[in-house]
Amino acid sequence: MNLNIDAGKGGKKQKIQLDAPGKKKKHNASLESKKARAGWIFVLPFVIGFVLIYIPIIYDSIKYSFNEIKILVGGGYKLEPVGFKNYSDALFVDTSYVTTLISGLKQLVLDIPSIVIFSLFVAIILNQKIAGRAAFRAIFFIPVILTTGLIANIDAANNLQSYMENTQGIDDGSGQTSTATQIVSVLDVERLFDNMMVGTEIVEYVVQMVNNIFNIVNRCGVQMLVFLSGLQSISPAIYESCSIDGASGWETFWKITLPMVSPMILVNTIYTIIDAFTSNDNQVMSYIARVYEQADGNVLSSAMSWMYFLIVILIIAAVAGILSAFVFYQRRD
Amino acid sequence: MNNVESAPKIKRETKNTIRVDFERTPFWERVKAKLLNLYTLKKVVWYLFRLLLLLGISYVILFPFFSKISSSFMSKEDFVDVTVILIPKHPNLDIYRAIIKDNKYFEALGNTFVLSLICAAIQTFVCMFIAYGFAKFKFKGNGLLFMCVIFTLVVPHATLQLSLFMKFRYFDVLGILNLLGGGVFDGLNITGGVTSVNFINTNWPLYILSLTGLGFKNGLYIFMLRQFFRGIPDELEESAYLDGSGIMRTFFSIIIPLSTTMMITVFMFAFCWQWTDNFYTELFYTTAGQKLLPDIIKIPKSLDTNYAGQSLYSSAITNTCGIMIIAPLIVLYLFGQRYIVQGIERSGLTAD
Repeated sequence: MNLNIDAGKGGKKQKIQLDAPGKKKKHNASLESKKARAGWIFVLPFVIGFVLIYIPIIYDSIKYSFNEIKILVGGGYKLEPVGFKNYSDALFVDTSYVTTLISGLKQLVLDIPSIVIFSLFVAIILNQKIAGRAAFRAIFFIPVILTTGLIANIDAANNLQSYMENTQGIDDGSGQTSTATQIVSVLDVERLFDNMMVGTEIVEYVVQMVNNIFNIVNRCGVQMLVFLSGLQSISPAIYESCSIDGASGWETFWKITLPMVSPMILVNTIYTIIDAFTSNDNQVMSYIARVYEQADGNVLSSAMSWMYFLIVILIIAAVAGILSAFVFYQRRD
Repeated sequence: MNNVESAPKIKRETKNTIRVDFERTPFWERVKAKLLNLYTLKKVVWYLFRLLLLLGISYVILFPFFSKISSSFMSKEDFVDVTVILIPKHPNLDIYRAIIKDNKYFEALGNTFVLSLICAAIQTFVCMFIAYGFAKFKFKGNGLLFMCVIFTLVVPHATLQLSLFMKFRYFDVLGILNLLGGGVFDGLNITGGVTSVNFINTNWPLYILSLTGLGFKNGLYIFMLRQFFRGIPDELEESAYLDGSGIMRTFFSIIIPLSTTMMITVFMFAFCWQWTDNFYTELFYTTAGQKLLPDIIKIPKSLDTNYAGQSLYSSAITNTCGIMIIAPLIVLYLFGQRYIVQGIERSGLTAD
């Protein structure tokens, strides 16, 4: 503080003043490194698991797909390298893998738009004021919690077993599919759309979507909530100014709502792809599971699932690449 | 103009208030002007349409549960009776009794409850810990490690089925047991020839996976929690640091109380998904192991299914198993659904 005492002391002061920022910087750095260390401590469980369990598992899985496993009598197992034999077996020897894969991927590509569009539609409706909104939300979220894993398996077996065989249409628990299909008869819709000059493929797609409504509703719980949270983050002032300027609801949807939720569309599309192709009830997965169960240490399933994984990663990359070109990010300053 | 001419008639006048009679438009006219226009009509039609649509979709979701519940009370005769559709003619509890007795329902329920509770608790806590690290601390490799989290979410389980089984059938960390047990050097044998541990038919595989944030859909929880923690303003923690609180203390006494809703959400997800999971339970438990809920899905021995309505009857039995499996979850959901909806909405899962 008292700077002008004499030259010698002044020089000393200057030195101290030079020191002080240095000290402060050092202190800052130590806090930063302390925080970085704390960050590592927080993510440590994952790092340990990833390095010690996950990477070996991935490595093993890739290794198994190039090997043959022999379980030894006294415990333990032995690997015999066979090169690309498992992959070529899956592609050329196994008769139904390729057809299952193609139809499964086709189904995946068809399902994704319907799930995303449907969940956006429902989210928009649920976001508006309506009697019993909380109750509807609770109901719409039931499938995410309850119709998973075991229950989905039971339902899948149900439909095959009784709905297919039973022509009388007695409701026995699988009734949901038969009633859902009876809501819209395929013939009616086709007759309706016949004169409208749209391609038969589109009509078939729509009919399939309506008939499949139970599956679609079951799979869009999380996506719906993501859209809901996105819709609620849009400021009401924007809608207000739009309506003052005379925009109709239709215009508002295309010019305001859609661009504002486009980041959620990207997230939901990717989530839907991941969810659809990792779920056990998808046909490729269940085929791979059947192959796995056929014999102990069956490595064919590893090869099959790695091929499937690669294809889906390519699809995700392509979809993310295409969609992110259209995503609109609101600048928040 | 007319109104001005006919000046308001003074009805009653006191010191402070004055009551005036206006000539008002008749009530019916006002209602007509207000409600019978295109704008209101459009609004009403749109409202009814939405209500109808929501009711329809709710029906699609709820109907399977109703039909499953009603068919679970039916007796054998009801399945061959064409006149019986939803309401049983001879209601009884035979199916429930047989499942509880023959399939050992309560034993399986208890085992699954312990497993799901411990797994869900561990997963919730560990995921919060990891997600907080990703959300609030800058360190080298943060982004790369988070990509790894997403990677674990994207790889399907079936890809890892075989190697997961092998890993826990012959469990060994970094080959330490193999080294000590004489697997590498012949002279070295500390563990008595034990070169690996067999974890099949124990709960350890699931506990270990939960502890390291690799359990079922844990990547999703970490992602959700990270988004949530990012929304908490940094100033909150900075002021805690200034007041002399350490990083851990800040996490436990400031961040955790703030995120109860998210915690309940993640816990419910983890609990319910572990409860109905059949992938890991089929992988890590053989028939010799403890009874878990997937094991009760079978036709009880005491029920005779060998008659005309057989296929319907047996699928009704399987459905009853399903109902009994998710019954505790329905109760849990009734209490917790509010938190789930709030939790997901607050996490603001966005692509940034």
